[in-house]
Amino acid sequence: MTVTAPPELRPVGSLDETRAGGRTRRKPASRLIPGGFVWILPGLIISVGLIYYSIVYSGYLSFFDWAGGRSRMIPVGFDNYVEALTNPVFWTAVRNTVIYFVAVFVVQVLGGVLFSAAMHSKILFANVYKVIIIIPVVVAPATLAPAHLQVWQTNGTFNQILESIGFGFLVQGWLGQSTTSLLVVTLVGCWGSIGFGFILYFAGMAQIDPEMLEAARIDGAGNLRILFSIVLPNLKPITISLAILNFITALKLFDNVWLITQGGPAHSSEFLGTMIYAETAGSSRNLGYAAALSVILMLIAVVTSVVIQSRSRERVANSEELPRV
Amino acid sequence: MFETRSVRSRVLLQLIVTIAVVPFLIPIYAMVSRSFSGAGWGNYAAVISVPGFARFFLNSAIVAGGSIIIIYIATMMAAFGFSKLRVRRKEVYFWMMMAALTLPEVVLIAPLYATAVQLDLLGTFWSVILPIAALQIPFTVLITRGYVDGIPDTLFEAARLDGANTWRMFWSILVPLARPMAVALIVLVLINAWNAYLLPKVFLTSEDMGVVTLLPEFFRRQYNDDTPKILAAAVVTAIPTIVAYIALQKQFERGMAAGAIK
Repeated sequence: MTVTAPPELRPVGSLDETRAGGRTRRKPASRLIPGGFVWILPGLIISVGLIYYSIVYSGYLSFFDWAGGRSRMIPVGFDNYVEALTNPVFWTAVRNTVIYFVAVFVVQVLGGVLFSAAMHSKILFANVYKVIIIIPVVVAPATLAPAHLQVWQTNGTFNQILESIGFGFLVQGWLGQSTTSLLVVTLVGCWGSIGFGFILYFAGMAQIDPEMLEAARIDGAGNLRILFSIVLPNLKPITISLAILNFITALKLFDNVWLITQGGPAHSSEFLGTMIYAETAGSSRNLGYAAALSVILMLIAVVTSVVIQSRSRERVANSEELPRV
Repeated sequence: MFETRSVRSRVLLQLIVTIAVVPFLIPIYAMVSRSFSGAGWGNYAAVISVPGFARFFLNSAIVAGGSIIIIYIATMMAAFGFSKLRVRRKEVYFWMMMAALTLPEVVLIAPLYATAVQLDLLGTFWSVILPIAALQIPFTVLITRGYVDGIPDTLFEAARLDGANTWRMFWSILVPLARPMAVALIVLVLINAWNAYLLPKVFLTSEDMGVVTLLPEFFRRQYNDDTPKILAAAVVTAIPTIVAYIALQKQFERGMAAGAIK
């Protein structure tokens, strides 16, 4: 969402189209620049068409109760919105989204910086470590979900590890308790996202001018001082990008939650994504309620993006460059 | 980046990183070791011989391939139009597209489900490919337009003076010069489409249209919670992605890094 406005539209064909250096020999542009509306049309129809249609249709649907298909659409006014905002499960989902976002973001930044700093420091087997932490990013969460179930179930790997290192008193049914289900979902989220932070930070660190580091070192700065005073400030745009991406990820979270806890037990690990899914494809569906939740989610996403965007003007300058990896 | 001059600090750093990597291996270890319990390799043999197993991979390839083709064509054309051609009010169109940049797919499933039911598109690959394309195009157009902006206008003007038409300019100048960007873009779309779960789960309801992300559920139904076989299926499903990543590390990382500049 945060991009610089590309160069303003010049009145095409105007003769004052001179560039710096007094190159005035340019022909009137209209003869050289052919019209191109048809060229942007396919992209516009597929993305703008489908998305805007869906948003408008969502808004319309949200004023009805509708089980889909041939069943009757019952107009209910704002009832779906009232129902959503007075539903404790909705607020649990909002709370879970915030907790998940903060926890995963912090762990991703710390883990990403740690690993990329270490791998810029000539350690052995760096490529092996890299592959290990990136596998969770490239393999689909849906494919790895059975592995997480195996780790966290009552007779699973995690409890076995606890017992073998003498922490047997901590053994519990991590997935079946409403106190720990969100913790499991959040840890799985951290597990799957550190590698992504690593990719970005590793690329960002490679672009820091080595002379700057050298100068700091000559001035007597130690490794930690260099990390906090030079490296991290230089990586701030990446951290802000990660914040936005993580927020969107937390808002739409579905795959891991659905496959590991199904939002339960007793809605303790519910997220907006799982709520919308259950109302769209569940057995007692109400597409109107799902649409109302979608509209609310969209509003949260838009408002947050605008806030973050206006808070971080400096990010704009960096947003159009592809980080070199 | 950081200097580890003494042997001690070097060993310490190596140790810290090794310990930090252990949690990443636990689920993988759990998955692989449990997948051999009971019948050993027999679990894998059973999984691979399930009729229709290959079909899941074929379907994923159809979804990913279809998304890539549509997104590639629409993106290259749009980037060309936005960057190098004369379009009235083009910034208005551009921002209409960019407004959807961070839209999560969950907000589309309720209206699209309702629409798909009415148009009888439920259970066709289009019902998955088109939303994937719609959600990716704003982003791919953004990065590709930025890239194409860097190609000098004079190249196109020279071609124009030599009598090339718009199509020729697109095909002979833009497409070859934008190839590095196209590779990153295709890898990014490939990862996203191959790993898509929610859209296929909602729209590809019939058994023979399942994609690889739906395999764990398929095997759960097939084997009634026979965990070793479910895990063997997960391993088999994960292997192609891991092999592809190891073979194409640079391209994967570039593609994913490109995905971060929203």
